[in-house]
Amino acid sequence: MIRNRTRVLTTLLAAGLVVACGVAWYVTRTPASPFDGAPAPQTPPAAAIQRGEYIARLSDCVACHSTPDGAPFAGGLEMATPLGSIFSTNITPDVKTGIGSYSLADFDRALRHGVARDGHRLYPAMPYPSYARFSDDDVQALYAYFVHGVQPVEQANRPTGIASPLNQRWPLALWNAVFTDGRSYQPKADGDALWNRGAYIVQGPGHCGSCHTPRGLAMNEKALDESSPQYLAGALLDGWYAPSLRGDVNTGLGRWSEQDIVQFLRSGRNAHAVVFGSMADAFNNSTQFMSDEDLRAVARYLKSLPGNPARDGAAWQYTAAAGTPPHPDAQTFMTRCAACHGPDGRGQGQWIPPLAGSAASMAHENASSINVTLNGSARVVADGIPDAYRMPPFRNQLSDQEVADVLSYVRTTWGNRGGAVKPEEVKALRERTNPASSNVIILQMR
Amino acid sequence: MELHINGKSYEVHAEPDTPLLWVIRDELGLTGTKYGCGLAQCGACSVLIDGVVARACVLPVAGVVGRQITTIEGVEADPVGRRVVDAWVRHQVPQCGYCQSGQVMAATALLRETPHPSDEQISAAMVNLCRCGTYNAIRAAIHEVAGQAGKSSTALNEAAGAEDTGRAQA
Amino acid sequence: MNHTPDAPALEADEEGFPTGDPANISRRRFLTSSAGVAAGAFVLGVGLPVGEARAARAAAAPMPAGTRVPAFLEIRPDNSIRFQSPFVEGGQGIFTAMAQIVGEELDADPSTFIVENAPAGNDYKVLSIGMRITGGSMSVRLSYPTMRRLGALARQMLLEAGARQLRVPVSELTTEPGRVVHAASKRSVTYGQLAGVAMDLPVPAPDSVKLKDPAQFRWIGKPVQRLDVHDKSTGKAVYAIDCRVDGMLHAAVQHAPRLGQTVGGIRNEAQVKAMKGVHSVHRLPGAVAVVAERWWDARRAAEALQVDWKAPAADSTARVMPADFSTKALAAQLERMPGPGENAENVGNTEAALKAAHKQVSATYHSQFVHHAQIEPPSALARFNADGTLEVWLPNQAPELFQGDIAKRTGLAPEKIIIHSPLLGGFFGRHFLYDGGTVYPQAIALAKAVGRPVKVIWSREEEFLRDPVRPMAVVRFRAGLDANGFPVALEAESVTEGPTEGIANKRGDKMDPTALEGIAGKAYAIPNHRIAQVYAKQHATLAYWRSVGNSMNDFIYESFLDELADAGGKDPFELRLHLLQGNARLTNLLRAVGELSGGWKRGPYIAADGTRRARGVAMASPFGTEVAAIAEVSIEQGQVRVHEIWEAIDPGSIVNPAIIEAQVNGAVALGLSQVLLEEAVYEKGMPLARNYDMYPILPLARMPRVHVRIIESGAKMGGIGEPPLPPVPPAVANAVAHLTGQRVRSMPLSRHVFKS
Ligand code: FES
Ligand code: FES
Repeated sequence: MIRNRTRVLTTLLAAGLVVACGVAWYVTRTPASPFDGAPAPQTPPAAAIQRGEYIARLSDCVACHSTPDGAPFAGGLEMATPLGSIFSTNITPDVKTGIGSYSLADFDRALRHGVARDGHRLYPAMPYPSYARFSDDDVQALYAYFVHGVQPVEQANRPTGIASPLNQRWPLALWNAVFTDGRSYQPKADGDALWNRGAYIVQGPGHCGSCHTPRGLAMNEKALDESSPQYLAGALLDGWYAPSLRGDVNTGLGRWSEQDIVQFLRSGRNAHAVVFGSMADAFNNSTQFMSDEDLRAVARYLKSLPGNPARDGAAWQYTAAAGTPPHPDAQTFMTRCAACHGPDGRGQGQWIPPLAGSAASMAHENASSINVTLNGSARVVADGIPDAYRMPPFRNQLSDQEVADVLSYVRTTWGNRGGAVKPEEVKALRERTNPASSNVIILQMR
Repeated sequence: MELHINGKSYEVHAEPDTPLLWVIRDELGLTGTKYGCGLAQCGACSVLIDGVVARACVLPVAGVVGRQITTIEGVEADPVGRRVVDAWVRHQVPQCGYCQSGQVMAATALLRETPHPSDEQISAAMVNLCRCGTYNAIRAAIHEVAGQAGKSSTALNEAAGAEDTGRAQA
Repeated sequence: MNHTPDAPALEADEEGFPTGDPANISRRRFLTSSAGVAAGAFVLGVGLPVGEARAARAAAAPMPAGTRVPAFLEIRPDNSIRFQSPFVEGGQGIFTAMAQIVGEELDADPSTFIVENAPAGNDYKVLSIGMRITGGSMSVRLSYPTMRRLGALARQMLLEAGARQLRVPVSELTTEPGRVVHAASKRSVTYGQLAGVAMDLPVPAPDSVKLKDPAQFRWIGKPVQRLDVHDKSTGKAVYAIDCRVDGMLHAAVQHAPRLGQTVGGIRNEAQVKAMKGVHSVHRLPGAVAVVAERWWDARRAAEALQVDWKAPAADSTARVMPADFSTKALAAQLERMPGPGENAENVGNTEAALKAAHKQVSATYHSQFVHHAQIEPPSALARFNADGTLEVWLPNQAPELFQGDIAKRTGLAPEKIIIHSPLLGGFFGRHFLYDGGTVYPQAIALAKAVGRPVKVIWSREEEFLRDPVRPMAVVRFRAGLDANGFPVALEAESVTEGPTEGIANKRGDKMDPTALEGIAGKAYAIPNHRIAQVYAKQHATLAYWRSVGNSMNDFIYESFLDELADAGGKDPFELRLHLLQGNARLTNLLRAVGELSGGWKRGPYIAADGTRRARGVAMASPFGTEVAAIAEVSIEQGQVRVHEIWEAIDPGSIVNPAIIEAQVNGAVALGLSQVLLEEAVYEKGMPLARNYDMYPILPLARMPRVHVRIIESGAKMGGIGEPPLPPVPPAVANAVAHLTGQRVRSMPLSRHVFKS
């Protein structure tokens, strides 16, 4: 499995610019940890390990640090960048190849500050700008889990495929200085406990902003919390458009109730949508394992983020397609899409999502529409049971023109306002993406 | 759950997300509707829902409660379906026959909607797969029904007979 | 379950599970409905041939296959004729052809026949090669005299019976369709009235009957209507997947990702067992099965299984799929494997002729893995009976072969194993015996384990994981042209494993002819040629595919032949005529297809609709039949569009021209599908495509018009089902190469973007 992390490239380049004013001592210094000098912890109680496991679920560590046929957390997942591939690392407690020799403070520095034990900087493919929000308690629990709850596996980390000198990591320290604030989450007095818990999960372990917050020129997330209207306002990443998680009625969660959000994160589906694209991974490995309380907290927090009507426009209303069939592109829709999504685009309850009024069909960004049509979606596995209905890839059946035509139809019918798709856009995405596997992939944590 | 199939009512007991296909095949024993792919790709499972062609393998049964379902077993009760079957026989369309329930349903839906489809409309609508390659016979049979809409059945037979003699023989 | 009073009667069996009477199959109901008779229409005749066949086997000396009339025929009082076909109907029209052939000599209208697949038994091994297989396009051509004689023997028995009934000498009697006639007294009796007596008479000596003069044929050679068409158009035809018996459970499987892997642990067995409707979970060789009351529940549970698969044992003798296998790597490996290989043909002195040639041409061609992709997914139903017999309903092309295999697996005596062979929802070679590629061992194991009948259906995904594929080959050509541009030497080294070698999982004592057919055995007069195979094992399980070796090799050879024509400055049609000089049959055939297409023209030219088009030609000699095809193509948005296919076919003599025309259409579709669209790609030991989404097959929109000319040259009868396929892919490729200047030496063409 290869994930495109093109942002790494831009990150490196941007970091290179900042270097001009670089200060050597700064970039090589080791950040402080509250756990510096703390005595080596003893074997923690089972409850602490269990809590750590839960936090690992919230943080979705497994998705990046495992491969479908490898041992849990042994790393090795390839992430393609234009400079070459990077590979996730072994975070099992193996002393030689994993993090077995990490002290709690070392662990903390990697997790919250992106600095490995030997002082090298991690690529921000590791979401440490979000993990910085972790509470000390959670860091400790997570450490307990990784040291005592995970089987050590000897598996050497694969070197990155990025050639010298672009493989220099020190400029990342400067990037960190500019774009991360390194502070753990501070509860807001004007939010209640549930809201604060939600804010903590969303900003911290859940690292929702990694995908859903737009990024700046240096590929930095433009905001790390609700203080900015940019926070979770929707972003294009790795061939998918992660929609707004704010109160936008068309492209965000404006039409969703808190219960809708809870259901979506718990079972992967609700009457508005079914997880797809990268969110299917996040659901399969992380959100479905959240406790009811935490899901409610996340929903409460997200529903507190106002939309942006100026950008989002008037609220979508279903409009029946004119005539039957309205225009030639409807034929492809009727024969390829309507069997599942309904001739009226309204989907089938929570089992098969509507295209009418969906965020992907309303968003100006069309990457998700194109990507899911070309490549289908990964199997959604809820409670260990794979989905009854999956979205197949159409890349081997429809030409660029046909995909463009059918999506132009979908994105301009039934009141949808996403707009037309050009064949060149389909071609570009076709070339840099792969079809989703139809295999049921369940990443194990033990 | 109560289903209306071919003009009859059935009380069925299935999880709401069970595909209609498996309810009608396994629970009701109506095996004329076929399983080919389970992914809306082949059309072997085609049925009509309120007269519109649908693929039973991707229809959660809960969604078709209260709607009129027509399966291949009931197709001859539909006047268009009846003519389609007749044309299928006259053109000797089926080979292995496995896809044909679906083909007949798709053709019936097409002709109900568009009584005189052009070649392009047939190509666009008839996307059911046939591994035996009966496509030309399907096309000819649909054209026949379209061309003869409204004519008597004797005229139909004569027309079919005339076509059959068009075969090349050395 | 409620139903309105006029709903079909659905009864609940002892488990409270509705058996759905309309689809429930007692053995008899099953047989009649599979033969297309509405349930309930059955009228008792002279008893089930099955029982008789068995009784007879136990009794005196066996009669030669295809002579014991009562094993095949049951004539009912209403004059309908129930016929046990030795061949399986899978769309090729064999049931109708059998009715025509037997009916012709029996003097009974084929439309009065009710044809079913015969059970396993020596009586039905009617092929002249002493066995029974539906495949290789052999059915009619290798049983024709035998089946005619069978009809004639039955007619003779009816005449004898008529003589007794009418009290006249046999010599005064004749027949008209369905009746014995005494012309002198203007009396007649129907076959139905005579059957009871007739079938008890001894069968006359096989050579005592005289066959009809073909000039007198009433049905053979005519476009007789198929017997099964209405049932197949209305969902009444019954396939293995539709079979159902009382008390039956359903099963679905999850196969090991790679052949040879075995079940290690199941992480969530308890959870899966607790899923709705699940009866039990079973470890099988290379698979885990879930048995449930309904297939859908079984399927979902099977998908939910989290199985740790173990690598195959190092000493495994079975075929195993390596974890790093990929079709890309295999292609590269085949290319690297050196010759000279083992010669299938070595005529003249190819090496010397190549050296001496005026011009040398060389090229390397590839063939791809392809799936059978028959629309009916494999299934099997097994039931152990109280009397110690085991009944299995399964799609198969050779009942005795499967019976023998089941005997081996279960330790039961073959006569205890009753094989039912329902209609096949397409086969194309899929339903031979393929180790690891068949469902019935699973059904038998599960029925045994749960003590109830079990039907296993493979989901499409599990089918594509285990469907054995047509082999890959890399063919290296070298050829030499003389000063006039005519080929004088040709060398072909095919690096491949033949399907027969693949199925045996080893090299045989002799070369596998199915590896090279289509490259070897060419009729073209090229004085020096060497055709060889370099054996290269392929890991994937291999299979016969419609037209077997010819389906890929004729693409390869006939494409290269066009390259030679171009290199020598010859028109490819003229070059073929030149190389076939003195071969009247093939010259006539090639001329015929040219004529059919309105006279050979290669193009390119602008068609009436403004598209730029060109034509290509190719020939093949598969399965005893001769074929030639011309394709007309254009390029539309970078992809090949085939407008017309003209095909001439000479099978020597024919039984039913309408069926032949349908078979040509079907073969054209499959040939186009593979040349335009199909390739089974493997990565990491697994096929990338697990359904039609990633493995598109030809849709209606891409079907060209097909024009057929049947030539009855009177030569020995050849096959029909497979032969029309092989010339289609090269005819298309040749047209495309000429139109675009791009010579593509591998299939499918969809991998390329063409400029017109
Ligand atoms: S089985 Fe439903 S479309 Fe193939
Ligand atoms: S008739 Fe066999 S698949 Fe269509």
